[in-house]
Amino acid sequence: MLIGIDVGGTTTDAVVVDGNTVVKTAYVPTDHDNLLKCMLMALDELVQGIDTRKIERVVLSTTLITNMIAEGKTDPVALVLIPGPGTNPKDYALGESIVLDGAIDFRGKEIDVLRESQIKEAASEIKAQGMSRVAVVGKFCQRNHSHELKVGEMLSSALPGARIELGHRVSGQLNFPRRAATTLLTAATKDRYAQFADDMARALKERGISAPIYILKADGGTLPLDKSAEMPVETIFSGPAASIMGVMALTQPGQTSVVVDIGGTTTDLALILSGKPLLSAKGARVGSLLTHVRAFAVKSVAIGGDSAVTVSGGNLAVGPHRDGSPLCMGGRGPTPTDALRVMGMSSIGDAGLAEKAMQMVGVELGCSSKQAAQKVIDAVVDKIVFEVNEMFREWELEPAYRIWEIMSKEAITAQNVVGVGGGAPPLVPLVAARMGAAAIVPKYAPVANAIGAAVARPTLALNLHIDTEKGEYSVAEEGLSGRVIDRRMTPEDAEKLARKLLAERAVRLGIGEYASEAEVTYSEVFNMIRGWSTAGRLLDVRMEILAGLLPSWGRC
Amino acid sequence: MSSKNKSRKTGLIFFPAFDWAISPTHPEREERLLYTRDQIFEEGLMDLPSIEEYKPRLAEKKDIARVHFCVPDVESQVTEAHLIAAGSTLTLADALEKGEIGNGFALVRPPGHHSMRVVHGNRGFCNINNMAIMVEYLRTKYGHKKIAVIDTDVHHGDGTQEIFWHDPDVLCISFHQDGHTLYPGSGFVNEMGGPQALARTLNIPLPPGTTDEGIHYVLDNLIMPVLDEFKPDLILNSAGQDNHYTDPLANMRVSANGYARLNEKLAPDICVLEGGYAVETALPYVNTGIIQAMAGLDYSHVKEPDFVPGRFVQSEEMKREIAHTVSQVQTVWDERYNLVEEALEGLGDFYRRKRRIFYDTDMINENQEEVVRLCPDCAGYMTINTSAQRGYGTLNSAFCVTIPRGACSSCRDDAKEEYAEHLDDRRIGYVLMQDKDKDKFKFYNNMTRTEKGY
Repeated sequence: MLIGIDVGGTTTDAVVVDGNTVVKTAYVPTDHDNLLKCMLMALDELVQGIDTRKIERVVLSTTLITNMIAEGKTDPVALVLIPGPGTNPKDYALGESIVLDGAIDFRGKEIDVLRESQIKEAASEIKAQGMSRVAVVGKFCQRNHSHELKVGEMLSSALPGARIELGHRVSGQLNFPRRAATTLLTAATKDRYAQFADDMARALKERGISAPIYILKADGGTLPLDKSAEMPVETIFSGPAASIMGVMALTQPGQTSVVVDIGGTTTDLALILSGKPLLSAKGARVGSLLTHVRAFAVKSVAIGGDSAVTVSGGNLAVGPHRDGSPLCMGGRGPTPTDALRVMGMSSIGDAGLAEKAMQMVGVELGCSSKQAAQKVIDAVVDKIVFEVNEMFREWELEPAYRIWEIMSKEAITAQNVVGVGGGAPPLVPLVAARMGAAAIVPKYAPVANAIGAAVARPTLALNLHIDTEKGEYSVAEEGLSGRVIDRRMTPEDAEKLARKLLAERAVRLGIGEYASEAEVTYSEVFNMIRGWSTAGRLLDVRMEILAGLLPSWGRC
Repeated sequence: MSSKNKSRKTGLIFFPAFDWAISPTHPEREERLLYTRDQIFEEGLMDLPSIEEYKPRLAEKKDIARVHFCVPDVESQVTEAHLIAAGSTLTLADALEKGEIGNGFALVRPPGHHSMRVVHGNRGFCNINNMAIMVEYLRTKYGHKKIAVIDTDVHHGDGTQEIFWHDPDVLCISFHQDGHTLYPGSGFVNEMGGPQALARTLNIPLPPGTTDEGIHYVLDNLIMPVLDEFKPDLILNSAGQDNHYTDPLANMRVSANGYARLNEKLAPDICVLEGGYAVETALPYVNTGIIQAMAGLDYSHVKEPDFVPGRFVQSEEMKREIAHTVSQVQTVWDERYNLVEEALEGLGDFYRRKRRIFYDTDMINENQEEVVRLCPDCAGYMTINTSAQRGYGTLNSAFCVTIPRGACSSCRDDAKEEYAEHLDDRRIGYVLMQDKDKDKFKFYNNMTRTEKGY
């Protein structure tokens, strides 16, 4: 039996899954001030009458990090940058930072040395500010870790007990400001997250649940709770990830679907292309910071069942703001929920009040309440369809750097529109009809998120960089480097090495049994020509275990 | 009118064509923009609010035919890589005209500025002229009249010069390392344009070893004042990067900071990458600097690892030589109206010139005879008789006719007659016609007697 718990905005849902059947569900209201307690409440309710010894896995999808960052409850961190030549670090919106001399170039060559006196000064400055957490990030330090390591060591000895995060361990991908932001957030959340992970592990033990605990990440993958403490930021936005994984679990494999999660004030849109959820081209935006966190491409549109319906100058507008509850549920003004009630498309709220709401709109538009309701619904559907089409268009317009990428990208259309969330059942068929797609509102749509968490498999990525002229390979995230002898190493050899290194990383993170699922998601090779002959090769391989479902989950 | 002031964003298209090379060890190979990719991605430039990245599109064959007489046809002369590089400039042109961006940089390869009007093959690493294709697109689609192209590549922009040679509305200014010492061996002060467009081509040959100081002297004392007087709708920069002090194919002493400052000063509406082959030591830094300067960002932190300010100093003699060249070109510009008047006085109804053109990359020798009608009512139609031989290989010949934008009826009729007269003439392989006024382009194969058009 598998357990999934998803912390949502209003309710926390929990589900027990056995094979491909949903055995039991439970809901409790979300307590944003005590997520641990509310998850445990949901769990306790869920496992009543269930033999906890049969639980094989518990997966949590929590807004812990999201809330922590949104509410500013993170720990203060000193940011130390080694930017080298290029952009003025002030042009990055990273806040206060200490800037050190020293530079590494794109080949990992040291082009300017560190100044020890500056590092010492930095340490005293950090000490004077009373900070005990430091993020050290250098440009191109993923290609040569020496500067970050040296600065880290010196700060560590000057600031006993301080938590020091090094950029290259957080992300091996290009993009220094994103790496700096991700490292900063990691340092700011790690301690509190570790506390949460400990408390959760203890609480489950107390309940006699000895099954391994996993956490859901923004890329739809799971990771053992204790290991996830190394990379807490990756657990942000697990809610949308859970809902997309839930849709994956509840629909046919291999199809192209639009996931529409219609809530009270926002509608979240996501794409599943030929059975693979679309990841955002770059990392996620967390508050004002752009990060390297891999996340599904989710578009939040400010429209939902509770959006305020207004008429000005004869023009109807739905949203973007909310003006209390729908009138039919005791609110002040008309909303799409009232319109659906009037059209007999839902049974939520009071019919008389809904009629009154649509009459208010009808008076302004000079039409009947039914016509007004139809117009409101059309406006909501128009907006959702427009945004879905924009999302496909944005995907088609993502930059590409190779001829074949440009030549092979074709326009795609959705086969299905899959609805989850409270507002989905009446509206999704309308959206689907407009797009010429099939409408799917799965039976378990209300707990799709919890199901998604329960049955998501682990994900893992590894970036391998090889420079055969220097005879070196490196995996930044692991702080790992080694020698390569063959100057004419082929991409196939590089991929083989990446597979081996990924398997080792998977074992270290407690998900070794999934290593065989890894695939090459990016591979490039360049011959370095110096003079008129080949001096060596640069190879880059990205090996990933992508989001997917546990094999035990037979699809419904 | 252009609505370009709606946005101050800098549009960027980065198309490194990582799967295209002239040959594996050629300077124009896959690796050329690799370190530039690493640098600008690591800088996170695409994430900055002042920069908007665009995806390139493929140029249409018609966009190529509007500029070039490709022999025998467009399909035989361009690959997908060329269409994407040219299409990148058009994507940025559209974004500029729609007001989505305030300026743009097509950081793309393969380059184009050595490609001339007639194309038999690759010349100076170029098959089609991305810059000229964008200029003609901007004029046809958006009705721009006066455009200035400043070629800041170390090599003379001979292709662009040749394409706009007779066009008084396109000001082509190229500064470059002296043609006595560098490919393509042209670009002297006395190359000033056709009789109707004299001084609308300005060449500033510079001595090997010219530094930041030298090129900024040329900008401050010549290019900027000339632009102030010419008042173009748009300023475009053929932004080669091989004036850099580490370029392996040339001998100048310009730094990344010098290039960034140049673009800040020139404030081009669109930059198009041309050459630059110091793939590790120059391109990552020069491109970063240009992008920052265009986006109004601080570029003072961009510095090559081995550069110290004051590293390169020009001798007094070199300064005098540059100043002398600048004053000569200034005189040409100042005399422009007289020059045209005098030239036309001495000519009859037609202007003719014969030329030999060598395609270094493809080892092709081309012979051309160009005839332009000196029409009082319009720009005059033009014909080009061209034949080319590749090594000991086949001879390709074509007769090309251009009807200019705004052609008078007599030039239009005569041009059409010239086209018709050469059809089925077995001494010529192909007959091509550009009707720029109607934006229609024809290719006729005299051997198969088939016509196709764009």
